[in-house]
Amino acid sequence: MTEAVIRNKPGMASVKDMPLLQDGPPPGGFAPVRYARRIPNKGPSAIAIFLGAFGAFSYGMYQVGQGNKIRRALKEEKYAARRAILPVLQAEEDERFVKDWKKYLEYEAEVMKDVPGWKVGENVYNSGRWMPPATGELRPEVW
Amino acid sequence: MANVADAAGEPIPTSSVLMAAAKHIEINCMPENVEFLKCKKKDPNPEKCLDKGRQATRCALGLLKDLYQRCKEPMEGYVGCMYYHTNEFDLCRKQQQAFEKACPLE
Repeated sequence: MTEAVIRNKPGMASVKDMPLLQDGPPPGGFAPVRYARRIPNKGPSAIAIFLGAFGAFSYGMYQVGQGNKIRRALKEEKYAARRAILPVLQAEEDERFVKDWKKYLEYEAEVMKDVPGWKVGENVYNSGRWMPPATGELRPEVW
Repeated sequence: MANVADAAGEPIPTSSVLMAAAKHIEINCMPENVEFLKCKKKDPNPEKCLDKGRQATRCALGLLKDLYQRCKEPMEGYVGCMYYHTNEFDLCRKQQQAFEKACPLE
């Protein structure tokens, strides 16, 4: 009953004469739709892209070099400071070592005093150079 | 341990104090240090280079005391910064500039 009310054509004789109610295009049709590819062919050429990439790379490497120069200067500053205070520290360690070495030589003399033919201390290597003592740890109370 | 001097006013040669004064030591104590290193190169035996070592230590400690007396405040600031940043020169530039302005490197 509602179809007849909606699709009513004045003066229709039966339900079979109702006009069609369809969804369709507007009169005159729709506007034309473009579906063809239009990819533009402008922009930088291959050489330009290559030169741009190469330029960016070389600029970056140049900055790397500059940064390395700065870092090397910082490291050199640190090493120079260490070289400057090395004699003070080594001299202090030498004093401490000499004191401990004398005490060790006395201990060795006391321990080996009954052994015939034992020259106390300094019976280390034959090359003539001085080598630090190689018996056990250097300073066990520190480690 | 960030203070430069002990109770008697003598600078304690800790690592931060020595590194802070390293540039001054390098310039002012160069002869003694070079002599000590040459002696060591000739003979690494500690007993043979004790006197030169004492000269080098005396020069460095005297220089530390002199620096401490001449510019106490900037030196304490610089040593404190070095102690805080464990002897990283790049993190203490401001205090380094102040210290070298007060006690110039010559």
